[in-house]
Amino acid sequence: MFRKKNTAGVNSNEIRAILDEKKAKMKLSLKACAHCSLCAESCFLFMGHNKDPKYMPSYKFLNSVGVLYKKKGNVDKLDLGEMRDLVWERCVLCNRCYCPIGIDIPDMLALARRICRSQGVYPQYDRE
Amino acid sequence: MMALSHIFSWTFVYDFIRGPMVWIAFIIFFCGVVFQVLRFMSLLKEQPIKKLTPGPGHFIYSPTASHLPMDRGKTGWFKKGWFKKGPDKKDANKKDWRVWLTLSIAGVNPFMTVVTTIFHVLLIGVPVFVLGHNILLDNAFGVSMVSLPENVSDFLTGVVIFCTLIFLFRRLFLDRVKIITSYADYLFLSLAAAPFVTGYLAYHQVFSNYKLLISLHILSGELMLMAVPFTKFIHMIYMIMVRFNVAGEYSFGNASKNW
Repeated sequence: MFRKKNTAGVNSNEIRAILDEKKAKMKLSLKACAHCSLCAESCFLFMGHNKDPKYMPSYKFLNSVGVLYKKKGNVDKLDLGEMRDLVWERCVLCNRCYCPIGIDIPDMLALARRICRSQGVYPQYDRE
Repeated sequence: MMALSHIFSWTFVYDFIRGPMVWIAFIIFFCGVVFQVLRFMSLLKEQPIKKLTPGPGHFIYSPTASHLPMDRGKTGWFKKGWFKKGPDKKDANKKDWRVWLTLSIAGVNPFMTVVTTIFHVLLIGVPVFVLGHNILLDNAFGVSMVSLPENVSDFLTGVVIFCTLIFLFRRLFLDRVKIITSYADYLFLSLAAAPFVTGYLAYHQVFSNYKLLISLHILSGELMLMAVPFTKFIHMIYMIMVRFNVAGEYSFGNASKNW
């Protein structure tokens, strides 16, 4: 939890610039999330993985975009690597997630993908 | 100048939280809500409505399946013939209401749908229609609203507290809620429950110190009101603004904006 950050290869200013572009919408959406978990069943990956809570749409955006806004872009490669698994391996951006409050979850996950990609963190299927 | 001992005295605190503090709370609440609504309106942008006609080459068969604003006609979502009668009727333009209901959040999660609906309706409804509040309004301004009988509002308060307990148990014991729960969730859940719990205890005079309980009741209510526009309670404004304005599959009415 309290490990030393190794920020080599991560441009925090670049991340912050992308975060600021959608700041108003994202901050409001993160604040509005009531952590109710009612979005869970709308994700087919959640249903397909034996209802593993780590596949919940809210878990995915809280631990990617939520963390990025909380840390104001000061993340390292390890954080981004975890986010990569969240937003690519556990989400296919099918836009089917449903939030009772109306939070635009796919947009948040797309933003997380964009930030990861801007730092060169993305799945490289030909090498893995 | 008022002496410090007077400011920290019990009567002064009591008079302050039931006097000026109420005004402060309501002003912050209303100004905050207006500010947030205006902020939403400035963030949302109008999108042109595209009429999508079904046919060859049109992958988006029903515009409801897209994030595009849709033309629902003047009557909006109350339009007649929105649903077909049964699964056997092969009218593809209309949804089968049974399929729709099973796939909706009410069909997938009926228990939570009922609990949250009851909780949120009562959370706003009970304080407005409780007899004691209307008597205070009548004393202050000479106007009051219809009020519920005391035993009814007492029972409904119990229902609200029961619903909060259900939320609390979900947070504590259900894996999927536990994994996304932060300390703030417990804080705001207790802040939402506090006016009801203290009001219930004060009404039944469970503790002999009625004045302390009623002060806590007023104070927690004021804190909750002030918290609405700026904290997690913002989902009250967010839900209305987004679902009635932002175009999408689950929007209400002729939502045609985007952000």
